[in-house]
Amino acid sequence: MKLTNEEKTAAIETSQRILSNYNQEKGSLIPTLQQIQNELGYVPSPAMEVVADHFNVMKVDVYSIVTFYNQFRLTPPGKNQVKVCMGTACHMRGGNIIMDSWKRRLEIDCGETSEDREFSLDRVACVGCCTQAPVTVINEEIHAKVTPTRVEGLLYAYQLDKDKENKKAGEDN
Amino acid sequence: MSNKSTAAATAFEQLKQKAAGTWNTLRDKPLIMVGAATCGRAAGAQDITKVIRDELASRQIEATVIEVGCMGHCYAEPLVLIQKPDNPTICYGYVSEGLASMLVREFIAGDDPCIEFALAAMEVNDFIPTFEDFPRGMVEKKVVMQHCGIIDPENIDHYIANGGYEALAKAIDKSGEEVVSEIKTSGLRGRGGAGFPTGVKWETCRQFKEDVKYVICNADEGDPGAFMDRTLLESNPHQVLEGLALAAHAVGASKGYLYIRAEYPLAVERIKKAINQAEESGLLGESILGTDFNLTLEIFQGSGAFVCGEETALIASMEGEPGIPRHRPPFPAEAGLWGKPTVINNVKTLSYIPHIIRKGADWFRETGTPDSPGTAVFALAGKVINTGLVEVPMGVTLSQLVYDVGSGIDGGKQFKAVQIGGPSGGCLPESFLETAIDFDSLNQAGAMMGSGGMVVMDEDDCMVEIARYFLDFTQNESCGKCTFCRLGTKQMLEILERITKGEGALEDIDTLLNLAKNVKTGSLCNLGKTAPNPVLSTLKHFRNEYEAHITEGRCPSLMCLNLIAYYILPDKCERSCDACIGSCPVESIFSNEDRIKVVDQEKCVKCKSCMDACPPQYSAVVKLSPPELVQEKENDNG
Amino acid sequence: MGKKINLTIDGKKIQAMEGDKILWAALENDIYIPHLCAMKEQQQSPFAGCRLCFIEIEGKPRPVAACTEPALEGMVVNTRSESIDRLVEAGFNLIMSNHHIDCKICAASGACELQKIAKERKIRLKPKKLVQLDRNLPKDHSKDCIIYDPNKCVLCGRCVTACRTEGTAVLGLAYRGFERMVTTFGDIPLGETDCSGCGSCANVCPAGALIETDN
Ligand SMILES: Cc1cc2nc3c(=O)[nH]c(=O)nc-3n(C[C@H](O)[C@H](O)[C@H](O)COP(=O)(O)O)c2cc1C
Ligand code: FES
Ligand code: FES
Repeated sequence: MKLTNEEKTAAIETSQRILSNYNQEKGSLIPTLQQIQNELGYVPSPAMEVVADHFNVMKVDVYSIVTFYNQFRLTPPGKNQVKVCMGTACHMRGGNIIMDSWKRRLEIDCGETSEDREFSLDRVACVGCCTQAPVTVINEEIHAKVTPTRVEGLLYAYQLDKDKENKKAGEDN
Repeated sequence: MSNKSTAAATAFEQLKQKAAGTWNTLRDKPLIMVGAATCGRAAGAQDITKVIRDELASRQIEATVIEVGCMGHCYAEPLVLIQKPDNPTICYGYVSEGLASMLVREFIAGDDPCIEFALAAMEVNDFIPTFEDFPRGMVEKKVVMQHCGIIDPENIDHYIANGGYEALAKAIDKSGEEVVSEIKTSGLRGRGGAGFPTGVKWETCRQFKEDVKYVICNADEGDPGAFMDRTLLESNPHQVLEGLALAAHAVGASKGYLYIRAEYPLAVERIKKAINQAEESGLLGESILGTDFNLTLEIFQGSGAFVCGEETALIASMEGEPGIPRHRPPFPAEAGLWGKPTVINNVKTLSYIPHIIRKGADWFRETGTPDSPGTAVFALAGKVINTGLVEVPMGVTLSQLVYDVGSGIDGGKQFKAVQIGGPSGGCLPESFLETAIDFDSLNQAGAMMGSGGMVVMDEDDCMVEIARYFLDFTQNESCGKCTFCRLGTKQMLEILERITKGEGALEDIDTLLNLAKNVKTGSLCNLGKTAPNPVLSTLKHFRNEYEAHITEGRCPSLMCLNLIAYYILPDKCERSCDACIGSCPVESIFSNEDRIKVVDQEKCVKCKSCMDACPPQYSAVVKLSPPELVQEKENDNG
Repeated sequence: MGKKINLTIDGKKIQAMEGDKILWAALENDIYIPHLCAMKEQQQSPFAGCRLCFIEIEGKPRPVAACTEPALEGMVVNTRSESIDRLVEAGFNLIMSNHHIDCKICAASGACELQKIAKERKIRLKPKKLVQLDRNLPKDHSKDCIIYDPNKCVLCGRCVTACRTEGTAVLGLAYRGFERMVTTFGDIPLGETDCSGCGSCANVCPAGALIETDN
């Protein structure tokens, strides 16, 4: 994936700003990466280079960390992040069937972002709502007792929202 | 100890009086408590709070509304507790927005406590039974969960008014050695999985004459079906902090961390608030309660890797490295974070500490078994009627948990097995229902106390699939450092996938057993050493299910997607009904010339929508295994 | 100077430096124990990932890794027994199920530690009952003096250490679990990194994944 120049600049500036609040102790390395991830939604190469420089470690060591932990993404997430719970309770109530439905409807695999960057699909392990299984989290909202039909419904609702937005944007112009 | 009260005791007495004031004035007017831990929130607790507030405002009623943590009755979320002067405190379950406003109208404004919607009362009274009157309440015994869901987790006064920080105030005038010895006598064993005696661990750490030592609370709870630690952090954060402070005092540390799992934002928020409040009250920070004991606490958030729950991996990640375990010894208690002696304890372990110090080791030992004293906290999930969090004395039986606490199996189905200990635990069949729940009995039975996840399974759950599920999880979460865990679990998973697809061979079972044995002995850390447990236990107790998959291409529980087909029984299909057609997301159902519905097996994605959509009075959709049965049926029907 | 201690390995009485790990005590006395990841310079914080160096110590109930176990005065060690041999073979089979085997054309053939283990312990190179777990990763030819074939890598991590002590520290271990691999920042080819081509990585590679060419 190629970053645009704006994305590169944003990555570098954000990282530098975040780093200015941290000393050079290595214990702060992961917390800074987390903060970059929180702000940018991912940790691109230029950000990793800035971080490596600040903590005086090898670039490849920062890369090791970013590729090791689930939380960090190397590519930007979709505008809407769909996370399907694959915890034990959800699995037993057909979590994989729900995952399949999302894959089929979004036409992407787990861990991927759709081409228009509207959606990304991920798995999570138990969001603590096992009694409401199976669960899908969209952005921060938890949807309980999801069925394949419900997946259609959720996407439909999203489409309506988006149409409304477009229409509004059209009117505003 | 002399009766002369020390400076610390005096300082604490003041805090206690202030707290008692706050707590008692709460009782002056109606008090409404909404269970708003993550589980409650998912069920809509915050909307309920808003409805209640609005309703109170519109009626101009004076009442206090607070958001509390989780009592453990997750099946009945959202939960609301109402305490009205001159009434017992009543707990309502399954509270909808309608019920919420009705409760304000009828009970707070009026006089009708709406008993028909009450789950139970919190205190003994003449007209509503209490939780203790139900089978669940008779088995349960709450120690660390005692105040969860009935105090405001964001208000330190609520904790102090209920005996909180008394243990710290008491211990601070004693030597660390005395605290260690009390914990040793109590026989407390670590609740993070392995059951290592906490007092022994502390003693080791205490022995080192180093200036810098650390205490760490392990709240990385990674078992994909457990949320006890999260609930404790969200519902009673000060209890954990007090435990951590006592640990620090005992071993001589002045810096502590709480390592909290990435997916627990609410817990992080509440712990942060709690640390601030405790510092303001002089219970944390510099010269605690006026003594020379200092302790700063910080939060370190995990980044989403199950293996970081393992203590050496946890330390690596705090040091800015990938979370990769290292060889032990040295144990963290000798050389841990930044090479310094470090005590790492689980959230639950630490939560017991204040109770033990306050009430004594002998009190603690009264509950549980001689070798596993105290209580155990489980997240009960799966096919039981009442899911949620439970705290029971060690030594109760599995059947008590399933039938008394869980109220038995949902939907009149047949019990099959219970999975204990998550990815490192095992599946126990019906013949083990009388097994006592304690560290050693579970180990002997081939399961594990583990993290405390407990999933009940019924006849519809395939044991091969559940083994595959857990192995898929550990395989995915293996750090990749050592051969047996990285490649051994992968090879095992390959075999299990073949079997669940009906492509296995009988000799695969032997290969699987051998791999399991070697991964157990050969792996570097306990992730690998315990990963084969779900496979070994299902192979031991449910080998026939493995064989059915292999020799007959049949999944006896009708769960493995590759081995089942959906079929619509022609004689049951009500021709004028099209419910299934509309429900199918891939248009695989069509209507034949007799208007009977037929599934196009080529297109079907086996999502079960049609089966759910078919009205119960027809129940025309069935699952068949092996899928070839469809052809047979069709031939029979000519 | 460290103290010398006495111990017995496979019936042979030997001497070792106090504090040395059993693996080194054995190897320095011509007793072979299979090993891929151990480096003597790092014996005080061993990597202990390959899991091939299992031995038995009298008085200990379970097999232990020779690279993590300090040699102690009077210790009695066995490097061979039925159960040890089986465990080592199982570990070796797993490694080979993930190692691209092409000894006939492999430049490391003859100097390969995997071949040596197979010969010493009489184990087939190609495991019988396991599926081959190929990842089909691209070979890196971008540097003219080094060829890197990740499909042969056994993840012992020695090259990463060597690259840090003798090279320019471009290599690292990234990703997790089955995906774990020796790689560079952003997975870019060696030719586009600061790699000086010192070849120290190839020197320590036990499996022919990193090969120095004559260029
Ligand atoms: C793979 C793995 C995951 C673990 N996860 C946790 C965890 O999430 N929480 C925890 O407290 N202990 C976990 N442990 C156990 C810890 O290593 C350690 O034993 C524990 O935190 C010690 O605390 P205790 O003595 O209070 O039980 C895990 C161990 C392993 C091997
Ligand atoms: S398993 Fe999905 S919420 Fe717990
Ligand atoms: S040499 Fe001991 S584990 Fe690799």
